[in-house]
Amino acid sequence: MSKIDCNHCGLKFDKSSLIEQKDSDKTLYFCCSGCQGVYNLLQSQGLDDFYKKTNHKELSPPKEKLSDSSSFDSPGYIQKYTKKIDNLIEISLIIEGIHCSACVWLNEKVLHSKDGVVEANINFTTHKAKILYDPKLIKLSEVIETIRSIGYDAFAYDAKAQEERTNRQRKEYYYRMAVAIFATMNIMWIAVAQYSGYFSGMKNDLRVYLNIAEWLLSTPVLFYSGWIFIRGAYFGIKNNIVNMDILVSTGALLTYAYSIYITIFTNHEAYFDSVAMIITFVLIGKFLEVLSKKKAIDKLDLLSLQMPFESLIVIGDKKKTIAVDSIQEGDLIELKAGERASADGIVVKGNASFNESNITGESKEVYKDLNSNIVGGTLSVDGWIQYIATKTYANSTMSKLINMLDNTLENKPEIETLTRKISEHFSSAVLILSLFTFIFWYLNNNFETSFIIGISVIIIACPCALALATPLASLVGLGIGIQESILFKESKFLETVAKTDTVVLDKTGTITIGEPHVVNYKKISTYDENLLFSLVSLSSHPISKGIKKYFKNKKIYNTELENIKTIVSKGISSEFNNLKLLGGNNKLMEDFKVEIPKIDSQNTFFYFAINGNLVAIFELTDEIKNGSSELISYLQSENIDVHLLSGDTKEVCEHVVKNTGIKNFKYSLSPFDKLDFISNLQSKNKVVMMVGDGVNDILALAKSNVAISMGSGSEVAVDVGDVILLDDSLLKLKKTFEISKTTFYLIKQNLGISLLYNAITIPLAMMGYIIPLVAAISMSFSSLIVVLNSLRISYKNRKIF
Amino acid sequence: MSTSIVIMMLIVSLLLGLAGLIFFLWGLKNGQFDDGEKMMNNILFDDENELNEAFKREKKIKKDN
Repeated sequence: MSKIDCNHCGLKFDKSSLIEQKDSDKTLYFCCSGCQGVYNLLQSQGLDDFYKKTNHKELSPPKEKLSDSSSFDSPGYIQKYTKKIDNLIEISLIIEGIHCSACVWLNEKVLHSKDGVVEANINFTTHKAKILYDPKLIKLSEVIETIRSIGYDAFAYDAKAQEERTNRQRKEYYYRMAVAIFATMNIMWIAVAQYSGYFSGMKNDLRVYLNIAEWLLSTPVLFYSGWIFIRGAYFGIKNNIVNMDILVSTGALLTYAYSIYITIFTNHEAYFDSVAMIITFVLIGKFLEVLSKKKAIDKLDLLSLQMPFESLIVIGDKKKTIAVDSIQEGDLIELKAGERASADGIVVKGNASFNESNITGESKEVYKDLNSNIVGGTLSVDGWIQYIATKTYANSTMSKLINMLDNTLENKPEIETLTRKISEHFSSAVLILSLFTFIFWYLNNNFETSFIIGISVIIIACPCALALATPLASLVGLGIGIQESILFKESKFLETVAKTDTVVLDKTGTITIGEPHVVNYKKISTYDENLLFSLVSLSSHPISKGIKKYFKNKKIYNTELENIKTIVSKGISSEFNNLKLLGGNNKLMEDFKVEIPKIDSQNTFFYFAINGNLVAIFELTDEIKNGSSELISYLQSENIDVHLLSGDTKEVCEHVVKNTGIKNFKYSLSPFDKLDFISNLQSKNKVVMMVGDGVNDILALAKSNVAISMGSGSEVAVDVGDVILLDDSLLKLKKTFEISKTTFYLIKQNLGISLLYNAITIPLAMMGYIIPLVAAISMSFSSLIVVLNSLRISYKNRKIF
Repeated sequence: MSTSIVIMMLIVSLLLGLAGLIFFLWGLKNGQFDDGEKMMNNILFDDENELNEAFKREKKIKKDN
């Protein structure tokens, strides 16, 4: 059958499955009512230009079911995400479904056409929108509904102060770099004229004018672009630390002062070009570092997103929705299926299954009834309960976790980077050598000669190569990481990974896949497997999914079942043509008096009975990821200690340990225990890497020297992580180590090159063989070698992988 | 070449360059380069409609303040 495009989204479908719409002169086809709606809306508003602008790119059809938008108008939400500017409100949204610039155009256009929306600006790269609106004319929910009406979805995010600060810092660097590069480029041209004049002869007055032009140009470079170094040097001196900034700024300032002296009192060439070059090169090196810096994230907010804003409390026979902050101890809270508990408490009525994976890390649901403890932040999957709050919201487990996370992240330990260590000693050594050189020469010579030679020592030791050594190598390393779907959030983690000597692994989701998987299927008597398949298709429980997945490969069809009942935390029952179907765990079988054999194993079992007779038993286990043993043996061969931490029971952990070769493991740990474990290792001077994926790992991740998260892990864990393995593969962790080690090796080599260069040239300068002119030229040469050497990583990597 | 001509050329070329730098910094400050991809596509959205839009928006901002 011929396939044709949907008129809105452009995806291809069979003609028969499309919705037809007769227009005046042509027939239109749509894949769904959503697409049709959006198309007609755009036509009626005269926005059909959109389709021209997309250039027939495929779009995604609009989502059909979206959550109710009225909750966006709750005062808690507004207060949390919006900012008041005069009598207008500014909100930051992330817009889902943007494919091309036409989407941006359409969204902006539609928003602008709404009364009350004053300004809408969407960033194409990040899909973030800043919208300024007048709350008297339009409600937030209406703004979001507008975006939804044209087939996109939007949700608010907190435009974090920290993120804005990073952006501002980056912008500041752009300004300074623009000025520095502009001025340096012009100085270079003038310098070419001067140096050719040096050889072919030039009028003295012209030389002075060229000097003055260079002077004018180098002044903003030194005092505006170079302000970062002067400021850094000032803080260094204040705190008694000799840093690279001191060397850069003393070198540049002295050369600048001396050049002014030359310009005014003599008619030689001045050295303003060296001043501009030093500052520009080192600024570029520093900028590369800022560029690869982690975009600051507000971890708190993401976690808080998992928390409800409001709770339904019962007072007498009235029910009232209140903000979570005003929950008192002793309040009676009602919780329906699909809602998250706000405060901790004890169940007084009803029963429900809870997903506590954000506390325990286990995906298995926990059954709660009378007198069970409810933990704040956990999700009720099914059932209905009322519980009495035993703690206020602020003192509940989840809130405590959030606070602690913030605290831990702020105090994340950092290892001292190699460059910093070297540059400290290097700077003081050079300054002292230069001073000695000056004094030594001054004993036998006049002031001017000794001063020039003294300065030439500083210029020749110009830390350009040193400053470029790390950022360049790191940048190449980061690039290779991205090609391998390994995302280093900050370049310094390359070095931290290379120095790691202890790796702590989480179990669920990291070593294991995190989903139960059928390992054993025992048929007790013959039965229709289609019935079982249909039964498990009805439930979204992980075990049902595991069985469904097992049957997927067989030719199985869905049958219509009747009278379906879900028995909380136990299983499902149903009927089919007088057959009573029953599927679930041993508790369900006991309840319905079905006889089951006794099995002693740490795996999970699922039983299936027809008319009270057991017909099949499934054994399920959480599968260990591919490559785990390979990773562990690699780590052990590199002399790295490996530990396994889990919130799970001892038996399950032993099974994993046996199959992967991990020597040390701890079980039944809470998120707080994991944190203690990491701090304990760190107090023994270990450089600890934590690998995890869940909310229950975030404290440990935050505390570790370098945190590795799985790309599919919870959003918070991804945010807290320093390195993200985008495809969840454990083998990529091995690759992470390899990339880091190669990069670190290259950083060391780069530093070696620049130190070797200095070891040769500094003595020459001290002996007075090098005039500043030669120094400036040879300095660029050393930077060039470092640049070329860094590019070698990509070549080296081809050999490794 | 006389010195004065060289000086004049130097001044003129530096001033021209400076003007370019100032415009670049101005664009940077206005956020024109914040979003590289949007900037590249801006040329596609630059017809009469956009001008009218911009005019309407100006008016709306004035009204609100």
